[in-house]
Amino acid sequence: MKRLQPQRWSSSVLSPQVRAGCRLQRRIQHGLRYQTTTTPFPVTEAEAKQPIQDLVPPPKKRSSRSAISKHSLPSPPVKAARESAKLAALHARLYLPARLPLETLARTLVDESADPNPDFNNESLATLGHDLLTQYTSEYLICTYPRLPMTVIFAAMYAYVGPKTLSAMVKEWGVELAVAPGGEVDPGHLQFKRLDPGVNPNQPLKNPNRPYENEATWRRSISSKIVYDDVFGEPVRASVDPRQQVQSADRYAAGVTPEQACSQFVRAVLGAIYLHAGRPAAKRFFEQHFISRHLNISDLFNFREPARDLSRLCARENFEPPYAKILSETGRLSRHPVFVVGIFSGKDKLGEGSGSSLLEARSRAAVASLKGWYLYSPLNVRLPNSMEEEGAAPWKPVHVDLGEVIV
Amino acid sequence: MTVQGIRTVTSARNGVGAFILQCKRLDFHYCDWAGSSRGMVSFLKHHLPSFAKANPQIEIRVSPRPHKHPVIKGHYVNGREKAICVRNLEPEQIFNKANLLKAASGEKLKRTKKPIASLNESVRGIWDPYHGGFKSV
Amino acid sequence: MFSRTALARAFALPIEQQCARFSVARACLHSTAAAASTTTKTTSTSPKNAHPTSPLTATPHVQTSSSTTSTTTSTSTSTSTSTTTTTSSSPIDLKKPVAPTFTSPLQLTQSLLAQLPQLTSQRPHYIVSHLHDRPYLLTQGDSIRLPFLMPKVKPGDVLRFNRASVLGSRDFSLKGSPYVDERLYECRVRVVGVDAEPLRVKEKTKRRRRHVQHIKSKHKYTLLRVMDVKIKTAEELLQEGAVVV
Repeated sequence: MKRLQPQRWSSSVLSPQVRAGCRLQRRIQHGLRYQTTTTPFPVTEAEAKQPIQDLVPPPKKRSSRSAISKHSLPSPPVKAARESAKLAALHARLYLPARLPLETLARTLVDESADPNPDFNNESLATLGHDLLTQYTSEYLICTYPRLPMTVIFAAMYAYVGPKTLSAMVKEWGVELAVAPGGEVDPGHLQFKRLDPGVNPNQPLKNPNRPYENEATWRRSISSKIVYDDVFGEPVRASVDPRQQVQSADRYAAGVTPEQACSQFVRAVLGAIYLHAGRPAAKRFFEQHFISRHLNISDLFNFREPARDLSRLCARENFEPPYAKILSETGRLSRHPVFVVGIFSGKDKLGEGSGSSLLEARSRAAVASLKGWYLYSPLNVRLPNSMEEEGAAPWKPVHVDLGEVIV
Repeated sequence: MTVQGIRTVTSARNGVGAFILQCKRLDFHYCDWAGSSRGMVSFLKHHLPSFAKANPQIEIRVSPRPHKHPVIKGHYVNGREKAICVRNLEPEQIFNKANLLKAASGEKLKRTKKPIASLNESVRGIWDPYHGGFKSV
Repeated sequence: MFSRTALARAFALPIEQQCARFSVARACLHSTAAAASTTTKTTSTSPKNAHPTSPLTATPHVQTSSSTTSTTTSTSTSTSTSTTTTTSSSPIDLKKPVAPTFTSPLQLTQSLLAQLPQLTSQRPHYIVSHLHDRPYLLTQGDSIRLPFLMPKVKPGDVLRFNRASVLGSRDFSLKGSPYVDERLYECRVRVVGVDAEPLRVKEKTKRRRRHVQHIKSKHKYTLLRVMDVKIKTAEELLQEGAVVV
């Protein structure tokens, strides 16, 4: 096997019988990629206005030029997707629909920092996938738990579709990260430009649309986070202003963290499924890969003053004011006393908790009763996105709660 | 700020929704000269294409490893790998070994006594002596 | 001997394509006349019913790429070859669920009909499912390591447990005598893989014989994952043809 003689094929290329020119040109066209490598992003105002198609020259003009080798390309050529064993294995491992071609899957693996050309990176797919992900997740959360406080919804969104979860999913899918992007890389690797060591990836972001952004010490309310911030309650990254796009290209020139690149990839996969296989396939993918993961929502609460919150809640809901009562106790004078305290409103027990002091037991009981209120879940939950399908049953309004207690 | 949210990460439950085969790659190493890989070469020639066709989730690499015994190496999603030496084995035995690597979870082999592992809380609750009418503890 | 890169530069050829051509040739070499003796195991005869409408089966759906392809990793003289595979025929047809063999419709008593909503409306549920007469208390998402190797299953298969003694929630439970009718609930598990225990070595000795016999054993176990535990509501049961006695 070692002795694959170069003479055999080189003679076929060199021999006068074969029209070498034809073969050479065919090969050149194979390796050619219709992509601008010199000016990846529109720099000037005039260029920014014209559509992307004009920037990419028509293929016939390019074929007359010299062939571009794979090493000069920023990301693997489109044709390489068919030849990658890794990519086909990934496609099969994720049970992706057959209508999603390997080329698109290869494109979802190319981050914006690896290839700035929007025709060849996954940024557009990831944008679509991110919107779908957040929409489906928020619908699921709000319809299943209509009384969740907004901060807990932010935390649950982060747990389901946050960047940490998405990068963990990439690892569980068996996707390997390329060390550095390039045209010669196997398209089955996730390709992105890594951040240089010493660069802080968590620099505070500023949203120019938000008023009083420069007042660092001012408190940011939850309602302003709903309006101005992203789905996790964090300041948004990219601005909508097209003039800022050049800056965003500069931003990616520094590189991205693996976590960012992984999350972009997962979003892009969902976007690609939505585009190629349609909405039902995207929803099924979402349910099978995201909602099926395990999250205990009652662990996401952190109460400061549960007893006060509970009394305000009872006042708001016109319940009788809550009072705490010792249900059971043991060893009051010993080193390890245990008190079991229940909180009642009238004759109804709202919750109970146990602790080694009366105050601890009471606050645990208050937490239990508050969680019992906030974690209410209706029986047969139907999500609003089920109305998008053909022949769906008429919509019945879901329960919408007043929201959390404001003290 | 009455309630704060605690940020966590959801944990995976492979198989509840989607199922991902844990074996992601199989490497087949053989030697052209040595007699111990006669069965391996025959397996590669006759059985491997059908095996690969039946398991498209697995990336398969074949490479010679001269003057060494033939080896199948499985690479798993969790980053571990398992290697099986298949010297002097018949093609059918090698096929069984490849299937073993394919079905393995990739975890380190452990002795466990409990058949069930759960992430959920106990459904029926945990017994304590303060409830259920036990007046004296 | 010419190096490949030099030749490629001489003819202005992309380097990787030559490598790709080499490896294609190699892959074809291996896959010549290999259609014979495929070992296609059909697992339709699993002990429990397979999931009838599950979109995910053990073998994935039709792959897009049509032929066996291959890549090489670098331009050096690495000779590793990778082949990918493709299936063009859908394996779903092979795995038909076993048809139910019930002769009479499910009979619900009035008391069960009155009590069932209390059980179904309280979540989560557990089920005590029996497999080879061993009870397993299962909730959704649990992973099971069976104490034996289940035959004729492969990773990705979906089984349905149809023998349960108790269905329950926190405050309510429905006990069967000895088993609950399998039309009252759905419990599906997925075969995740096969695990093995570490090798055990047992030393056996006989008296007055200076010889120690080492007996090795390494058992295999099937790993399962509980996909869902669902107790059907009274309305669903009546829709499916249950008769109130």
